[in-house]
Amino acid sequence: MTDILNIQHLNYKLNLVSILADVNLTVPAGSIVGLLGANGAGKTTLMRLISGVAHDHHNTITVADQTSAAQRKQLVSFSHQLDGANNHARLSQIVHDYQVLYPDFAAAQFQELVAFLELDLHKRLQQLSKGNRKKFIIALTLARQVPLYLLDEPFDGIDGMSRKKIIASILQWKTDDATILISDHHVDDIANLLDSVAVIKDKHVVATAQAETIREEYGQSIEDYYEAIYEGGKQND
Amino acid sequence: MNFNDKVPIYYQIKQYIYGEIIGENLKAGQKLPAIRQLAVTLTVNVNTIQRALSELISEGVLVTQRGKGNFVTTDVQLLVALKKRVVTAQFSELYDKLITLKISPPEMVQYLQDYIDQRKEA
Repeated sequence: MTDILNIQHLNYKLNLVSILADVNLTVPAGSIVGLLGANGAGKTTLMRLISGVAHDHHNTITVADQTSAAQRKQLVSFSHQLDGANNHARLSQIVHDYQVLYPDFAAAQFQELVAFLELDLHKRLQQLSKGNRKKFIIALTLARQVPLYLLDEPFDGIDGMSRKKIIASILQWKTDDATILISDHHVDDIANLLDSVAVIKDKHVVATAQAETIREEYGQSIEDYYEAIYEGGKQND
Repeated sequence: MNFNDKVPIYYQIKQYIYGEIIGENLKAGQKLPAIRQLAVTLTVNVNTIQRALSELISEGVLVTQRGKGNFVTTDVQLLVALKKRVVTAQFSELYDKLITLKISPPEMVQYLQDYIDQRKEA
């Protein structure tokens, strides 16, 4: 399998503070990878760097053989949290802006996702519950037709039914060659979706493993594996 | 479906499909749902479904027809052997547990017979 994402020796500082240090990660095309780590470990920053929103000045991130941020933006769909969006805007207006911004936005697929997730596009952004806001973000993100999707904490703080709907929509609309990197600090939510996991801790990607290998060879759940890395590290520090 | 999170998912999917076949929810020669449909129904990754089905195909339990999908084999002998294998696995687990409780094989038979009689009455 070819690698859709390749990161070699990525270092990132913000205001002279090191956020990520010597991060290495390769992700094969067509897989679903869990990016696991505690809050503040650097998951969102890593996604922002991969998507090209934040700048990596040393060209250490390659997406489908492209290293420039401008090129990568065309290849990556990153789940923006809509923080910059106007809260009074109707969803249909935000969708329209998104369509203008991204020529790869598939309107027909977006409508399918909207119907499946039972979203009402006449509503205003501020009227959405937390769960519906997350669903709307997922629909926008998955409607783009790109090789790599970055889903940042898609299940954070939402109820079980919304979570199930979002998981089903990921499984239903992910094409075979599309790749998804999905971050979460609560592994149980997504354990069954994952081909592999990458654990990020103290600015580094400290471990990567195939999900089924963790179960088959270590006899552990993904959560056990993840917790062992976090707890094991405390003793060593 | 609820999976044991310490056991490979592909393995549990195989067991699930064995169960569906032995319980005749999937009959000999019947077509399986499409891979993506199975992924959504069982809430697992498509690649995991693919791996489970590949193993079932190499075991001969499923047969692929190009462009049509996957079907339960119509090989009766193979299905009989499958049933025996799955039932034996259940007994094997029970046997090992009872042995650790120092239950002798004749006692096991007696316990099983008593239990069956009791269930029949209930």
